[in-house]
Amino acid sequence: MKLLVLILLGCSLFAQEIVVIANPHMRALTKGEIRGVFLRKIHIVDGVKVVPLNLEASNPLRHAFQKHLLHMSLSQAQHYWMRQHYLGHRPPLSKHSQKSIKEFVKKIEGGIGYIEASNLEEGLKVLYRWERNE
Amino acid sequence: MRKLLLLFFSSLLLFAQEGGYTLGEGVQLGSTPIYLGGYFSLQYTAQDKVQSYDFDDLALLSYGEYNKFSYMAELEYKDFYVYTKTSTQSVTYRDDTLHVERLYVDYTHDENILVRMGKYNTPAGFWNLLPINVLRATTSNPYTNELLFPEFTTGVDFVYSSYSDAELKIDVMVQHNADLDNDYNNYEMDRHYALGVTYTKSALSLKLNGGYFHQIEQTSALADRYYLMGSARYAQEKFELMGEVGYQATKEKVTTPFAGYLQGLYHIVPKHDAILRVEHYENALTGAQDSFALFGYTYRPLYPIAIKGEYQLHSRSKSDKILLSISVLF
Repeated sequence: MKLLVLILLGCSLFAQEIVVIANPHMRALTKGEIRGVFLRKIHIVDGVKVVPLNLEASNPLRHAFQKHLLHMSLSQAQHYWMRQHYLGHRPPLSKHSQKSIKEFVKKIEGGIGYIEASNLEEGLKVLYRWERNE
Repeated sequence: MRKLLLLFFSSLLLFAQEGGYTLGEGVQLGSTPIYLGGYFSLQYTAQDKVQSYDFDDLALLSYGEYNKFSYMAELEYKDFYVYTKTSTQSVTYRDDTLHVERLYVDYTHDENILVRMGKYNTPAGFWNLLPINVLRATTSNPYTNELLFPEFTTGVDFVYSSYSDAELKIDVMVQHNADLDNDYNNYEMDRHYALGVTYTKSALSLKLNGGYFHQIEQTSALADRYYLMGSARYAQEKFELMGEVGYQATKEKVTTPFAGYLQGLYHIVPKHDAILRVEHYENALTGAQDSFALFGYTYRPLYPIAIKGEYQLHSRSKSDKILLSISVLF
């Protein structure tokens, strides 16, 4: 019994909740639509140009996001964007920190990014959340 | 035209030096929403007693977007330099014509509807969407792709997409005018009406295409063609399976009773891929039919650089061939 409690406690300690955030004016998006926005298949939502934001390529949170929502490894994502270059589409903008993603999303109506749930603050709308277990 | 080429490459070099350039991603033209890029390929082919060296597919890309509009332009030298050698003679061929491969404007109405106008890759099957050497799995294209439908359409494509757990895309293509560049298409035609439905759920994509096209400079009995094609692709991190199969006919006779291929691609280790493709086609007009297997290997030191080798083993005599190529996306 003690072992079970310890395992559960351990799991909860290493679980990290990640949230996809947007400007409060953005309508609710399905998981499929969020995927469409980050793969630059969806450019406009309710008449507003959407601006997806990534963290830098080396950021583990970006890897977790790509794996969970885009179903892509880092190399698959790199290959995807080179194919998109031929099709005339650019990858999302990259921001160096979760703080800069939050600032951008608050200012820009179509801004959409992802951060750790522990960094949530007022002025951000949560579109989707999931728990990442390390 | 050479001046245009020189100007293009000068701009590319200039803006690549200004910003942090990554090979395969193109460059931004200053702070404008315009991007430049391109690709080329060098190819060696040996078949029966003929060898050829090609510098082809030297292409320039430019694209950009502004509000609800975006554009794509692709100009290409198809056979920039071709040297062919047989046991008795050698021939050099050059085509200096800069062809319009793609030139279109997209209007994005909302998250579901997009309208494309101009010359574009016909969105039939999966292979035809990424047809350039550096991005495709093998140096050669499947015959299925060339036999069944026009690879390019000059007209309008109405696209409806919906995104839920699965993704659904419907293309309605309409061409009722001349091709923007007739020399750069597998069929010379002035009409093309087609429908495509694509369904994607996680790793699996399924596609169904059907259409009609009208060929110019063809006897009336053979001018009107109808085609139907089904495609499937299953992609995982370690491997990818893809297959396309189709049929083409006129009102009176079947022109292609069957054309299809199945291809497996396996990522052996990062940068190294092994490819196996089996294909069969029957062309009732020429009486040609063939079954063959292709064994390919691709090494990508960087993803936008592909060094490929393939060997094709055909049921038709003297059709076995070896192809080697180096291709780069920039």
